[in-house]
Formats: sequence, structure tokens, C-alpha cells
Amino acid sequence: MSAVTLERQFRPVYESLDNGSNKSAILSCNKLLKKYPTNILAKALKALALVRLQKVEESLALCDEILAAKPLDEPTMSAMMHVLKGLGRNADLVAMCEEAYKSQPQNEEYGAQAFFANIRNGNWKSAQQISSKMHKQFQEDRYLYWSVISAILQANDPSTPAGMRTVLYKLAHRLVVSSPTPSYLSADRFHMHMNILKELELYDEANALLESEVGKSICSTSLACSQTRRDIWRKRGSYKEEGERARDRISEGDRNWLEFLSVLDATFAPIVSSQDEISEQSRQECREVLNGTREFLADIAQKDGIKNRAAPLARTELEYRAYKHGLHDSSVLVESMADYLTQFGDKSCCFEDLKAYLDAEVASSEQWGAILANQHLSFESISHLQRLINVRKLQRYGLSKTDMTVEAETARAVKYLSEYLEGLSLGKDLPVTELQPSDDLALLSAHAFVNVWTLSGSEEPLYSAVTVLEFGLTRSRMSFLMRMMLIRLYRILGAPSLALDHYRALNVKRVQNDTLSHLVLTRALTFSLAATGDLTYPTECLESSQIYLVNAQETSDFIVRAFTAERYTQIPEFIEFEDRLENSLQRDVVKMEHVRMRLTHEQLHTDIIDMELIELKFIFDRLHHDNRDFVILPNYQPACQPMFNEQSLMFGTSCGQGWLWSFLKIYLRAFQHASDLDETVEAKLLIGDRPKMSPDPETKLPLPERLAIRKSEETAELTSEECQLMEWATALGDWLEPHHNYTRPPPHVVLAEAAKQTELKTGLPLRGVDLKALSVNGNSKKDEEAPPIKPVPELVVKFFEDMYSQFKRLPESKCSISQLLHIATITQEAYILLAVETLRFKTPSVVKIHKLGNLVCMIKDIRQKANSIMKDMSFELLKLAEAENTGDRRSTLAEACACVAVGQIDHDFVLNVVRNVMDSRKKVLEGVAKGMAKLHNTHSQS
Amino acid sequence: MSVLRAFSAMDMFKFNNINLDIWTETYGINFYLDYLARWPDLCCVQEAPNGRMMGYILGKAEGSSTEWHGHITALTVAPEYRRLSLARNMVSRLELVSDQHYKGFFVDLYVRCNNALAVSMYEGFGYSVYRRVREYYGSLGVRRGGRDEEDAFDMRKPLSRDPQRRSVRANGREIVVSAGSVS
Repeated sequence: MSAVTLERQFRPVYESLDNGSNKSAILSCNKLLKKYPTNILAKALKALALVRLQKVEESLALCDEILAAKPLDEPTMSAMMHVLKGLGRNADLVAMCEEAYKSQPQNEEYGAQAFFANIRNGNWKSAQQISSKMHKQFQEDRYLYWSVISAILQANDPSTPAGMRTVLYKLAHRLVVSSPTPSYLSADRFHMHMNILKELELYDEANALLESEVGKSICSTSLACSQTRRDIWRKRGSYKEEGERARDRISEGDRNWLEFLSVLDATFAPIVSSQDEISEQSRQECREVLNGTREFLADIAQKDGIKNRAAPLARTELEYRAYKHGLHDSSVLVESMADYLTQFGDKSCCFEDLKAYLDAEVASSEQWGAILANQHLSFESISHLQRLINVRKLQRYGLSKTDMTVEAETARAVKYLSEYLEGLSLGKDLPVTELQPSDDLALLSAHAFVNVWTLSGSEEPLYSAVTVLEFGLTRSRMSFLMRMMLIRLYRILGAPSLALDHYRALNVKRVQNDTLSHLVLTRALTFSLAATGDLTYPTECLESSQIYLVNAQETSDFIVRAFTAERYTQIPEFIEFEDRLENSLQRDVVKMEHVRMRLTHEQLHTDIIDMELIELKFIFDRLHHDNRDFVILPNYQPACQPMFNEQSLMFGTSCGQGWLWSFLKIYLRAFQHASDLDETVEAKLLIGDRPKMSPDPETKLPLPERLAIRKSEETAELTSEECQLMEWATALGDWLEPHHNYTRPPPHVVLAEAAKQTELKTGLPLRGVDLKALSVNGNSKKDEEAPPIKPVPELVVKFFEDMYSQFKRLPESKCSISQLLHIATITQEAYILLAVETLRFKTPSVVKIHKLGNLVCMIKDIRQKANSIMKDMSFELLKLAEAENTGDRRSTLAEACACVAVGQIDHDFVLNVVRNVMDSRKKVLEGVAKGMAKLHNTHSQS
Repeated sequence: MSVLRAFSAMDMFKFNNINLDIWTETYGINFYLDYLARWPDLCCVQEAPNGRMMGYILGKAEGSSTEWHGHITALTVAPEYRRLSLARNMVSRLELVSDQHYKGFFVDLYVRCNNALAVSMYEGFGYSVYRRVREYYGSLGVRRGGRDEEDAFDMRKPLSRDPQRRSVRANGREIVVSAGSVS
């Protein structure tokens, strides 16, 4: 075929692929293949269309054929890259690209493709070797620097042993100095060079380069280089020189806080750098320098006035350090803080600026208390209001344990509220999209009410807090801080639909899903109505997880771009970013939550169990990164109290690594018992590569051993109900495991069945499976003796009764509805897990062959008890739902919140807030009750 | 006091306090990665000493011959850190790099015509209106804000390579161009 004919013939295929009409692409390919049965490009494009249509098995067969032919033309390779990426077969992709480059070493494009394939796969060492080879072949500096960064990436990989790090950095160093052109030709190369010198502690060599004209010029425009320079000077111990340089920069007008820190570090260098006891001489020396610095800062502060707060704050930092080093007592510090407050009290960041210097002694000192008390506070202007807010926050921060009584906190909450309402007049002309200047007082009031709740344990203060915040939102529609507080409080109150509404109003999107979805998806099973067919929460889980797919598809392209553009400052960061999203803790917490909900509304089928088993196993091998943003939640609680974030976590714990690990252990074990996939079968059926394993040595242990590990730091993240569930699941698993292992069909039977299914579906045999060989080795187990049937462990039966009695006790105490729902949904979860664990013994033939009649009887017994408890709980929840939202209860609650019905907040507003909460509660109570009844119907038979 | 440092890809995990504000758009990750892969030195962050982000600027360098210039794509400061000259610091950083490193002739930016506050802020930084771009922010139809809401001012400030101030003009507000004619 000539090139022209070829192009013409393939055009329709490409067009169809571009338009997403994969089916017509396949038809066109088939036509081509009829004419040219060995055309490899046609096969590759067909494979691509098949992948896009999710016809994985068919695509795989073509894939193997193409790869075996070792394609060398660019169109085929490019199509295959997409195919292999789509199938998750990165190892094959690397092999293909490397093979192509090996057979055509003069082809620069192939070299680059082989390099990038390795980078995408995290094979830093191979990437380094390829780029070195490319540099020799094509004599381009760029490739030399690629090999330098590859060596650095390998050195920094967590799986690289510590001893290798230095060796690799030395290699990087050797490569950099071998470059025919100096690194300072580009800021990015220079930055990388300096980092190597920093790592190898070659400070003098680094300094010579940094002090050169061109080095200085680079540092003046590149913040990244400037930061490395600063680090190197500090490591060299050149605090004094760095301090002087920073002084010059400040005198020239630079107000970067880092420069001020350098001046301060230089000031305290005499006492900080001495290893032994600080001598009086060095103290004296320090005092002298201190005076000089104080004058320098005073000069700058005077020059800047209120235009810039760097110098006055640096002075406070100076006095703070002097106080901490014992050069003088706290009074000098307090004076400088007072000055700062006078000057910048009308800026909203003033509280945060000063908070860093308020240790317990300073905060509780009479001197500081008097300064705050003597501030002139008024509502004359927005500036005055801001000052008042800062003083209130500072005063609150300094409150002591003895100030924490229900009465005093309630009084404070009411006072903040009345000040908030008064402050509203200053912002009454602002457009609706603006925030009210007095918003923070509403936040303070809500904080105080939340504190009252933690002190008294009664729910009413939460209603007051919610009322204040809801009112605040009517004046500042866009206040995301109020919304986030409301989300937390509504969840505690058991009003999840209101929490979800506020979450949606936050308009969380893209990467924010990773950092913020914890607000509503943590333990979402508690509120999920999936069992009744309402898929709100499972959908929310899937939507929030979109970002991980986007990351997997897009980020690696930008890593490649960063290489092409030689952005060495960015490459390690892009790689880390990709990794942090790919292995995000929240991603898998949401995945776990989704699995828990999925089992409440989908039929328990081995397909689901097998699939989830494999996915959860992958998760179990990951090294997670916690990207959840908790800092975003405001905190105006006193220093002696837990932060708002901690106070408002539903059930008092957050779902971190320990929670995830615990639930993975519960589910992996149950799924493993229920599934016929053992390791050999799984390896045969797996399509893509396995994800990168965490370097944690624990992941090397055999799975059953890992599943049995219990750690106190992991259980610490569980609620007491979740702990009980875990113990129950362990006991149940221990009891049934021998029977599962004995009755599970041998691998060759499972594989034969899988092969049959594949052949039915695709007309092709299952790849790489030699059934005959398997059946010879796989039949040994049946010679073993059947394990004895042991009596049911007491815990397995008692669990359901325990849960029920806890459930019954709750309404009498002052608990919240969320707690009640938690017990109900954990019980429901156990009920489903019981079904998963006993699925295998539902097949009559299995029971008959293995003589498990006795075991099945015992299981029946457990199920019956669980059945009746599920039914009772569902009934009780329905009763509670009916009792919610009656006029009487509404009035009683609104009465209890009378203290917030002041000023513009009228009684009706309070009543309305109460009504909304109760409506939402009623709905979720009813929904969960119906869900439990439905699950009871599904699983109670048999 | 704030730390001025380069914008890092990892900042996407911590910019919520800035981006939850309605006037700041959260783009797809490819948007940020694209800027960082091309103009990392024109993207920087102001950070409080406790590590909280206060604001950031994203910029690029573009244009040909005498139109070669630095451009401010996004400039934003978290609500609690406003009125602290943070915007001025970040803008002057971008000007410095556009001038010394990229050797641009000017720096420019687009702003909604009805955003009087921003326009006067930029005027305070030395920018002036170069032209008015019709329907830059899309056609919104007849609304209360009228033309001023959908039109943008292209504001410019000359750098040292343009000592004759050829990149600016006095009557910029009267020069109206269509959105299609600008990059």
C-alpha cells in the first residue's frame, strides 16, 4: 500500500474515533482487515475502539497480537499507547516503547517516548539510563538534564534505601558538572543544580555560583532559586551575612516576611547556634544586637506607617523570641502587642497575627487583660467594628478553664449576638453578594453556643447556634464559614438533608472535592437511604470521585510538558501532586463508604463481591496521603478548649487512615470468604497492572496475616459501635473461615468457568490460562479432612442484642438522633455482612456435599435473631419519626432557644429553623426505618 | 507580613479559604498545571506565617514584537486578608519578572467595566485603560448592570522597555474593540 492510499483508507477510521463513533470505527477497521488481514495499524485502531466501548476481552486479544509483532511505525504506536493506557497496562506500554527505541536508536521521538513511558510509570532508573543514552546519541543538553532530574527523582522516591540517596545525588552532581553549558543559562536548571549542592552539603561550591553576577540576577527574579539560596546560607550557618543581606533588601523596599525572619534569625544567632549552655557573654552579645534590630525595625515601621504591618509585627516576633530565650520578661512583649493592636486592630487578620504570641502565661496575664479591657470599643465605623471583633476574639482566646461554665458561656454567646446585630447596621447598604463586616461576631456567638453544648450535653444550644448561623446567612449569603459550621452542626443534629443543601451551596468543585468532601461524606452511611432506592449519597460519592479520574488522565500529560519545557522546579511537584491525588486517603474513604452503601441497595452477587474484593485489595496496598482540609473550619474557641473542628466531628472521631484500615479489614475478609477468587485465579483474571505497592513492610505479609493485625491507633478512630462491629466480624470470620476454605472450588474449576463465560461473550478463549496444567496441580485439597463444625461464638449472637439494648437506652439520655441512626446503621451493616459471610452456604449442593447441615442450622439461628432485631429497630425508628415535628416539640425547643430571639431574629425565625431540622430528621428516620425493613425482607428468607 | 513564594501545584490542596469566595473561580487542575508548566515565575502566593494562604496571582507572557508583554490572568486575596496591600505586592512582583526576565514592553489585565473598585485600585498601581473590549465576559443580554457588566477594560502599564510609553494611551476608554479581536 502506498503512503497516500494508506492515508486515504484510514481517514474514515480516524474520523469516527475522533467523533466518538467507535462502532463505525470498528466496522471500517473490519473492512480494512478484510482487504489487508495483516495490517497492524488497522488492528491497533480496532483495539482502541474496542477499549472505548469497554469490550476489554476482545481488545486484549488484539493487543497481544499487535505487541507480539513489535510495532515500529508511529501511527500504530500512538494508537497502542492509547489502548494500553485505557487498559491500565503501563508495563506493556513501557516495553513497547523501549523495544521501538532499541531497534531504532537514531529515532529521537522513540527515545523520548520510551523516556516518558518510564516516567509515567515511576521507573526513574530506566528513565535515567534512557535519557543518558539519548544525550550521548543526540548531544542535546536537555537530555542530560533529564537524566539529572531522573536521578534526583529516584533518590527522593520513598522506596529508595537511604544509603542509595547520596550515591544518586552524587551521580546527579557528576552529570550536572559534565554539562558543556553552565546550569545558569536557565533558572530551572540552576535551581536543580543548587538543590543537588544543598543535598550534598557542598555549600562553598553553591555559594560561589550564587554570589556570581548571574547567580544574583537569577535569584532576584526567581522566588524558587531565592528560597534555595536562603536555605543554603542557613545551612552554612551564615546567619549574620544572610541577616545583613536581608536588611539591605528591606531597606530597598522588600517586605517579604522571609527577609524579616532572616534579620531575626541573625539577631538570635549568638544564643541559638551555641550547642551548650548559653553563656552570659552570648546573652550580652545578643542583647546588644537586639537593640540594633529593634531600632532598625522601628525605623522601617515609622516609614511604612499603617501601610505595611511587616515591621511592627517583626518587632513583636523579636520581643517574643527574646522573652522565650529569657532575655526579658513578658511585659516588653505585651507592650509591643498592645502597640500592634493599636495600629492594626482594625484589620481582620490582627487576631491571627497576635494569636501566635499568646502563650498561656501571656494570655492570662493581668497586663494583657487590662489592655484588652481598656480598648475603646464602638460601632462608629467599620474600622471600629473590626477592632471590637479583634478584641472579642483575643479575649475569648485567653479565657481559662474556670470561665467555662454553661451560664458564663451562654451569656457570652448572647452578648456576641447582640453586638453582631448592632454591627449589621454598618453593612446594610452593601450589595447582597458582599459579606457583612460583623459576620465574625455571629461566628463567635455560634462558637460559644457549641461550647455550651459540649459542657451541658443538651441539644438546645445547638439549635441556638444553628439559628444564629442561619440568620447570619440571610445577611451574608456567601459566607462559606457559616455554611461549613452549619454542615457540621446539622449532621450532629441528625438533619443531613440540610447539611447537604449547604454543602451544595458551597459549590465545591474539581480538586476541592478531594479536600472538602469529608464535610458530608464522612460516615455518610448513617444517613444514606440507598436501601430504599434513594441514591443521593452514593451518587455524591461517585461525583466527588471524578477528580481522581481526571487526575489519572490529565496530570501525566503535564508532567511530560514540564519535561519538554524543562521546568525542573515543577516536575517533582507535579509528580507529587499526581501521587497525592491518586493515593488520596479521602478517595478511598469515600470508596469504602460507597461500598458500604452499595451493599444496602444492590443484590449480593458474586460479581459485585469479586470486583470489590480486587479493588479493596488494591487500596489496602496503597501509601495514602491525607489531603483533607480541616484548617478551613473557623476556630474561635478559647485556647483551653478543643477546637471547633474537633468539637463538631460527628461521633467525635474523624475517618482517617485508622478507620479506613479497620473497615478494609472487615470487608476484605468477608469478601474473601464469599469469593471464589484466590490469588492464582485473581492473577490470571487481572487485566491492567497492579498499582504501585506502598513501601510499608507490612504490605509484604501474606494477606490473612495482615487482615488479622489490630492496632490501638487504628481502633482509636472508631466509634464504640464500630469497634463492636469489628470484633463481631472478626469472631464470625474466625468461625466460618475453615469451612469457606474447605468448600471453595479449586482454582481450575473457577478458571474453567471464567473461560467458559469469556468464550460465550467474545468467542475467544481466556488468555494465558492452561486449564489442563491447572487441574493437575489443583486437586490436592479434597484429600484433606473436613474441618469440624464448632459451636457459634457467643459474641456472634450477642452483638445484635447488645446493639438493640444500646439503641433502646439512647432516647432516654440526651443523645442526638445521629447517634441513634449510627447504632441502627451499624446493626444493619452487620446484618448485611452476615449475609455476605453465609452466601456460600446458601447453595444446597454445597451443604449436601460437605455435610454442613449443622452449620447451616446454626447460621439460621443467628439470622433469625438478627431478623427480629432489624424489624424491631425499624419499628422503633418509625415511631420516633412520627414523634418528630409535632407542634408541641417545636414550641418547647423554640422556647429553649428564646435567648437568640432578639432584635431582628424573631420568634417565627427560630420556629422555622426548628421546623426545618425536625422535617429533615423525620425524613431520615423514616427512610432508614424503611430501608431496614426492606433489607429485612431481602435477607430474612433462607 | 506575608511570605511571598512561588505558586506550587500542591497549593491546590490548600487554597480553599481563597477559592470558596464567590469571586474566585476554581478551574480544572489542567488550568493551574498549564500555567505552572509554562510560566512558573509569573505565578506566586502570599502566605501567612502559619502557612495559611492569603492570596495568589497567576500570570503569563505573550504577544509578539512590541506587543510582547506580561499578563495578569488571576489575582485574588482571601476576604480576611484584604486591605493589606497584598495585591500590590503580587502585582509588582509580576511586573518585576515581566520586566527583567521576560523583557516585556508592558503588563496588562482585564477587568469588568463596572468593577469600579478594581479599576481604581489598578489605576493606583499605575495602570490605565487602553481599550474597552465589548462582551469580553460573554453576552449577558440586557441586565441591570448593562454594558458595563459584560464589557472589559484592557488596562496596561508600561515597563522599562517602553520608556516612551507607547503601550498606553490617554483616551483608552473611548476605544472600543470586539472580543474576537483580542487574545
